[in-house]
Amino acid sequence: MLTLVGMNHNSAPLPLRERACFAEEDLPAVLSRLLAATGASEAMILATCNRVEILARAPEGVTPAEAIKAFLARERGIEPPTLDSHLYVREGLHAARHLFAVACGLDSMILGEPQILGQVKRAYAIARENGATGPVLDRLLQHGIAAAKRVRTTTGISRHAVSIAYAAATLARTIFDDLSGRSALLIGAGKMTQLAARHLVSQGVSDLKVTNRTYSRAVPLAESLGGAAIAWDAFAAELSRVDIVLTGTAAAHPVVTKALVRDAVRARRGRPLFIVDIAVPRDVEPAVGELDGVYLYDVDDLQGVVVAAMDERRRAAEEAWRMLDVEVVAFDRWRQTVDLGPTIAALSERLHHMGEDELERFARRLASLTPEQRAIVRDLARSLIQKVLHTPIVALKSAAARGEASARAALYREIFGLDEPRPDAEGAGSGPTHAISGGKDE
Amino acid sequence: MARALLAVALSVHLLGIALAAIGELTHRQPLARAGALALAAAWLLELSTLVAAGLAASAFPLRTGPEYLLVLGWFVLTLHLALWFRLRVRAAALVLPPVSALMILAGVLLAEPPSPTSTLTTQGWFVFHTSIATAGVAALAVSFAMSLLFLIKERALKTKRSLRVLTALPTLEALDRLGFQALLYGFPLLTLGIATGMVYSAAVHDRLWIWGAKEVFPVIAWAVFAALLWARFARGIQGRRSAILAIAGFAFALLTFVGMVR
Repeated sequence: MLTLVGMNHNSAPLPLRERACFAEEDLPAVLSRLLAATGASEAMILATCNRVEILARAPEGVTPAEAIKAFLARERGIEPPTLDSHLYVREGLHAARHLFAVACGLDSMILGEPQILGQVKRAYAIARENGATGPVLDRLLQHGIAAAKRVRTTTGISRHAVSIAYAAATLARTIFDDLSGRSALLIGAGKMTQLAARHLVSQGVSDLKVTNRTYSRAVPLAESLGGAAIAWDAFAAELSRVDIVLTGTAAAHPVVTKALVRDAVRARRGRPLFIVDIAVPRDVEPAVGELDGVYLYDVDDLQGVVVAAMDERRRAAEEAWRMLDVEVVAFDRWRQTVDLGPTIAALSERLHHMGEDELERFARRLASLTPEQRAIVRDLARSLIQKVLHTPIVALKSAAARGEASARAALYREIFGLDEPRPDAEGAGSGPTHAISGGKDE
Repeated sequence: MARALLAVALSVHLLGIALAAIGELTHRQPLARAGALALAAAWLLELSTLVAAGLAASAFPLRTGPEYLLVLGWFVLTLHLALWFRLRVRAAALVLPPVSALMILAGVLLAEPPSPTSTLTTQGWFVFHTSIATAGVAALAVSFAMSLLFLIKERALKTKRSLRVLTALPTLEALDRLGFQALLYGFPLLTLGIATGMVYSAAVHDRLWIWGAKEVFPVIAWAVFAALLWARFARGIQGRRSAILAIAGFAFALLTFVGMVR
């Protein structure tokens, strides 16, 4: 039985998530304590700033959810009632589905954010290296990680920008071939402007000029971004040269006017100029956006891009869920085949025991045979049992491939009485004999 | 038989257009690839019909305007496939395959028997003239496609509405550059096409210049492209105005066929 106990940004407030979170270096020790405390045979812990998830696999019949909750409360020193109201429990395939969704970023605060997949991989690596995983979690995680990659590339759930600073860089990349080596002009030293500038620099923009009405404030900012500070009255000349302009002053009136940019545009001869105005009130006259080759985006426009991106991601998420359900079914089929192991073993054991019992019953009447002949009779019985077993086992496996394993296995257990205690050889031979002859009549 | 084969080719062509366009717009790589493969199949089928037609008539199949359109459409598709498979320029899938399909369709619908004078058309000089001119116009079609995509992308950037268009198309700079590069191939071929046409005219009609659509429109197109090249090389103009000129020039180049269809 797979069990997942966890909390995320929806179920628990940040202070509680902080308290429940495990440090990565503690995980090996925590995992071994977890396995010992809950009776689980396999386990993994995913602990990030937005979620704590404990995934465990317990032997058939053991449901470790309560034990895991108690373990978490004990480990992190949180009162069980508080913890309980912020935890969710998923069992069986629901646990698998939840894990797949987490890996895809479908359960993330920012839908489709890509870091979570790396965190899942890391959590799995730690669990595996410390021997906490086994066949089922290995399969589940490998399957889930591969599925998450597939979902991301086919649905585009992680494709569009979802923050203003990121949206500015994304838009720049739809205009310019390559941002590396591009030039940018930064007007003003506001926080948002800095953030957007940092995004551009991280994308390769290398020629950066920074200006501010107070020159002394431009200098440290220019230094921290690896650019050069220029005097306030020199920025107009830069407009005809740079590729990107970022503005974010506290000025009450526009500082970049249409007249100023028109002159620059004439000199640019159609070379695109991308202007991002993050200031409120705006720094750039809206009419600047009408000029040929000038693409002006203000805060609302960027917000619009972000909203559109979120819509795209939501649409992609619907498709992602559909894909995930298919993956969950595939995992379930595999799990069912694995679950057949005990049934098949019990079936084979039961029939071979019957054979042994019958041989024993006939032992006196076979006493007159030579040892060689007795061996032949024994082989005959065994071979007959193998033949009888063959077809039902093949049928069971193919039922598992169709996803019907558990119903079919239950039927077998009932027909062959696999869940009843094995009748003693003494005097109880008629039951099993009957079962076999019934099979032969069909 | 040839028409039936061409009908099959066109159907495959249309299927390829649909798959490629949906694939590009929705970022579905397998669909886009299936579309490109269907277009490649259409390309082969169309080539075989052209060869079959040429063999049946034992002539170079560029005798009439409609035949010219067939070959031009095939040529445009050739360039598209080269762009797609070699240069990985994918967004052209939205323009070039439909343009080439329209040319082929027009060629099929307007098909006419070659005029009696067409016995001359087997001459090597004529073959040279028509092949050069067709290749030139096909390259200009690529320039047209990139310019059209440039204007669409430009508009999307200005109106700030369609994020999908913004992310589906190549960058503004790439569209501008590719349109210009195609022009650098198309313009010399067009020039050569016009010059060889004059020589041919002089040989057949004993006149260097005839006032007809077939002659006037290519020259207007040539003038537009010449102006565009001058603006780009001498003045460093790029972007929207360059794209509009490239589209106008291509429109004039296409009008040539008005003069070829009786």
